[in-house]
Amino acid sequence: MTVEWIPFLTLLGTLALIYSLLALGLNLHYGYTGLLNFGHVAFFAAGAFASALATLPPPGSAAYQELGARYQIGFGWPLPVGMALAAVAGGALALLIGATSVRLTSHYLAIATFAMAEIFHSFLSNEEWLTQGVYGISVVPQPLKGTVIPVSQYPYFYLLFTAITVFALLFLTQRLTESPFGRVLRGVREDELAARSLGKNTPRVKLQAFTLGGALAGIAGSLWVHFIGAVHVGQFVPLITFQVWLAVLMGGAGNNLGVVFGAFILVAFRESTRFLNNIPLLDRFTAANPTFVPSLRFVIIGLLLVAIIRFFPDGVLPERHRKAIGTRQDRRLS
Amino acid sequence: MTEFLQTSIFALATAGVIAVSAVGLTLSYGVTRFINFAYGEFLTMGAFFTLILAGAGLPLVPAAIVAVLLVGLAGVLIARIFYDPLMSRGPFPLLITSVGVAFILQNLLRMFYGSDPKRFPVPLMRPWHIGNLFFPKAQVGILLVSLGTMLAVHLLLRRTMVGKMMRAASDNEMLARVSGVDTRRIINITWFISSLIAGLGGVLLAITQVAIQPAMGWSFLLVIFAATLLGGIGRPYGAMLGAIIIGVGMEFGTAYIAANYTYAFAFAILVVVLLFRPQGIMGGIT
Repeated sequence: MTVEWIPFLTLLGTLALIYSLLALGLNLHYGYTGLLNFGHVAFFAAGAFASALATLPPPGSAAYQELGARYQIGFGWPLPVGMALAAVAGGALALLIGATSVRLTSHYLAIATFAMAEIFHSFLSNEEWLTQGVYGISVVPQPLKGTVIPVSQYPYFYLLFTAITVFALLFLTQRLTESPFGRVLRGVREDELAARSLGKNTPRVKLQAFTLGGALAGIAGSLWVHFIGAVHVGQFVPLITFQVWLAVLMGGAGNNLGVVFGAFILVAFRESTRFLNNIPLLDRFTAANPTFVPSLRFVIIGLLLVAIIRFFPDGVLPERHRKAIGTRQDRRLS
Repeated sequence: MTEFLQTSIFALATAGVIAVSAVGLTLSYGVTRFINFAYGEFLTMGAFFTLILAGAGLPLVPAAIVAVLLVGLAGVLIARIFYDPLMSRGPFPLLITSVGVAFILQNLLRMFYGSDPKRFPVPLMRPWHIGNLFFPKAQVGILLVSLGTMLAVHLLLRRTMVGKMMRAASDNEMLARVSGVDTRRIINITWFISSLIAGLGGVLLAITQVAIQPAMGWSFLLVIFAATLLGGIGRPYGAMLGAIIIGVGMEFGTAYIAANYTYAFAFAILVVVLLFRPQGIMGGIT
């Protein structure tokens, strides 16, 4: 098998940028505010479906007939509207989940968010009028494709579009986390009681961080769904949540550039495992069992999670030491 | 009325499976103080090991017994390799590590056995009929095994020295240690018993509820969490009580409210518990 390097790297870059955005969202939750969110995939899914349904041609229209697809909701709005709605959907779901559970501490919050993501997933699987259930929707619009941008050039265009969006959001996130608001977030993380006794409304601050992170994940969902051009509930499994966790921990929680770097390592690793099929000794196993390589990939992701937490708890690009905090005791990992 | 009673029979069997699984989880939490996200994989291993041994020619019951003991040993081994070195670093690293361990175990099974659903070679059995009700033999058997397990755990905790030391280590590890309890040994024993019970839960789960496949335990994990937290984490009797409520909630929710949301009922109860009484019915330990 020869590798087409340019298309492969384009795919890798686009996916890595989308995961970067997911990681930036989780980093706001965990890295800055110390919230253990184990349900991140739900915000990603909310954004993906919101953007898909907003941009699909309305059922009954000429474009709908032409697609020959079956779905029941579509508004035919332009992509920017879809992206904005994806941010709103991700943020609103985060607000809903956060409003009920953000006051829970550590592992209780982890379980609550994990459970609510599963309930949301169950909802998406069962409400077929909304999501077409297990069949999904395979005709999600890819704006400008074939009209303004030739089909063969489209991946490069989309990479550029994703890069601009993600870097703009990275810039805004960085501005936010370096602002006084970011300082309050870190304060809540380090010592919520201290932050509260300084007059900060910590439940509200946590909820704001949770909502913003959810909105970032929602936008990631939008970028992803128009990149793939299809959406179905089976794509949104807890596995995604924990891959984003790995990206955040590997890159360096509390450092926006770090988690983007972590997302690139994660995706580069994950996508390059497809070449495992080419290794001489392994191909004997892979021929007999098609799930061998995909499973091996996740065994390694599991091992990485274990190893990072044990040996490099601060990640590759650790959070910058801030003198103003004084004697810094990292409560998250100690 | 008949439908109600019939649903109750299935609800009790479901509650039995959950109770067994939840007691194992809560025992390990009592001594180690972290929520083990890899716990579901021990259920999966119980079912897979039984299937493999049965495939090698052992009759089903001996195969299940050997498999469950093997899962117990695997539990001790995995705890020593992955969890012990992190015990002094608080709950978060252990939480993430247990997720990693869950990925590793689940996907190792998938690597070698694939994702196709499998079943135990159980012969088709006629249910017993009493009046308009029918009692499937498998469900009745599961109920008996669950009750037996609960009784065994009760006797272990209340009547044996090991059980006494487990309770002591769970209440106050430091105090237990200065009183001469070898807490390291107790932790190992607890992992063994907890994993063994999980393995048994997996065998029961595979008989009643679901096909045997690598994700079966992981998908059931939140149901177990729901029962455990509802009862009060670290409280074995609470877990039993929680399991009955969750099992009944799931079966009646499925029968009377919405058939496609079986597990979601358990998750919803879990969320409600976390929001309104995170310490659970019996007051969980922290």
